[in-house]
Amino acid sequence: METRIRILLLSAALGAAVLAGTGCAAHPPARTAAAPGAGNGTGGNGSPAVTDNGSPGGTDNGSPGGAGNGGSSGTNGAGANGGDAGGDSGDESPVIVQPQVQRRSVTVPHIGARDVELGAYYGILSIEDFGAQPVQGLKADYHITEDFFFEGSYGQSRAGETSYELLSGGVQLLSNAERRFTYYNLSLGYNMLPGEIFIGHTVAMTSALYMIGGIGSVDFAGEQNFTVNFGAGFRVLPTDWLSLHVDVQDLVFRDDIFSVYRLTNNLQATVGISVFF
Amino acid sequence: MCLALAPAPARAGRAPLQLFVTQPYLELHTGPGRGFPVTQVVARGESVDVLFRRTDWFKVRTERGILGWASVHDLSLTVMADGTPFAVDTGTLSGFRTHRWEGGVFAGAYAGATLISAYAAMSLTDNLKVEADLAQFLGNVSDGYLVDIGLAHVFVPQWRVSPFVTLGTGFTRTEPKATFVQPIDRNDQLAYAGGGLRLYLTRRFFLRGEYRTDVVITKTNSYEVNPEWRLGFAFFY
Repeated sequence: METRIRILLLSAALGAAVLAGTGCAAHPPARTAAAPGAGNGTGGNGSPAVTDNGSPGGTDNGSPGGAGNGGSSGTNGAGANGGDAGGDSGDESPVIVQPQVQRRSVTVPHIGARDVELGAYYGILSIEDFGAQPVQGLKADYHITEDFFFEGSYGQSRAGETSYELLSGGVQLLSNAERRFTYYNLSLGYNMLPGEIFIGHTVAMTSALYMIGGIGSVDFAGEQNFTVNFGAGFRVLPTDWLSLHVDVQDLVFRDDIFSVYRLTNNLQATVGISVFF
Repeated sequence: MCLALAPAPARAGRAPLQLFVTQPYLELHTGPGRGFPVTQVVARGESVDVLFRRTDWFKVRTERGILGWASVHDLSLTVMADGTPFAVDTGTLSGFRTHRWEGGVFAGAYAGATLISAYAAMSLTDNLKVEADLAQFLGNVSDGYLVDIGLAHVFVPQWRVSPFVTLGTGFTRTEPKATFVQPIDRNDQLAYAGGGLRLYLTRRFFLRGEYRTDVVITKTNSYEVNPEWRLGFAFFY
């Protein structure tokens, strides 16, 4: 029986020491376990409460003053041991940190604007009364906004023979040079249906169905005529810098090739490729 | 999606601009347009590298290497590495007043013929500009070209609608149509004076309309006075 009581007392003392060592000294029960070891264990004096004081008095608490001091360090207890030093600490104004780091200056690099598209096209142009002939041309687009773009184009073709020339046998209404058909257009386009097209599971390409219209000039049959062009097209971008087009346009102008002023409609269907710059 | 496509070939070896997100998140679209779906967001505090621009959209790469398109409006809420806001000049009314270059295209009439024209101008001051112009006229009687250079004075450049006057000189080439007269092409000098209005639309764009009187000094020591008006769409940089 006596042995059992000794064991119980020993284990109780050990338990108290362990509790104090784990920083529980601040709790009132730890105060009672005033073993010397527990006083050191309140190295808990280096707790935020001490550094908050920031005063020498606070660090004095770190002395083997016992667990009691450690417990009170969370309050103003620093003054109890620190005496005057602790009192002084209360008068200190807070230190304002002045960073000695030089401000980083950023030079803004030029951000390239890829709004300009340059390209070529090829297709069929139906020159009224002169048959459908191949047409090729160059064009430049400037994308003003995501909705609107300017387009300038220059194309050339060569007129065939009218049915009268074919049937009459040998009659030529136009000379060889006069059959050359060249034009330029300045147009405004509107991306009416922007979107994406999907190929398989992994590839998506931005696209747009657009309407386009403008003015220009046609040089044909030895005369130049004011032209109005309008049509629609479809653009798809396999990459950010490449663009493929399909275009259908009508070139409308008045001519007097047959000595009578008349309005002609010249339909053109082309495919093209462009590169963004 | 688009994000999976190979990035555009690298340009100059300079490091791209890094922007830090300050709003709760930055939306990335699959394409350069408001209708393209948002498939990625970049959280506050993270950064994106700006690769290039197309109209009002910027292709960006996130820290995780994901590519997408951010709008100029959304990117204007981000900051650069030094904490300053990212500012993009998309053109304002003050830019309409003060700028270096401008250009545009016109349609109009010259001595009864239809006129197509393109011009470029450089600002000497906010009020004074040097202009060069290339035009083609297409009529029933004759066709031809006009090339001229002159000065334009804008009276109140800060006004949304600002009047101006022009004065200049140039050359004209007239090609009479063969069906009407003996085709003798003429190259003559001309001088012009005129005035008009500039109307600021939005961003970098404005409308410009003007009326001119062209005096063509012909080889026969006589002169012709030809009226010319034009209306067009112009932009500034």
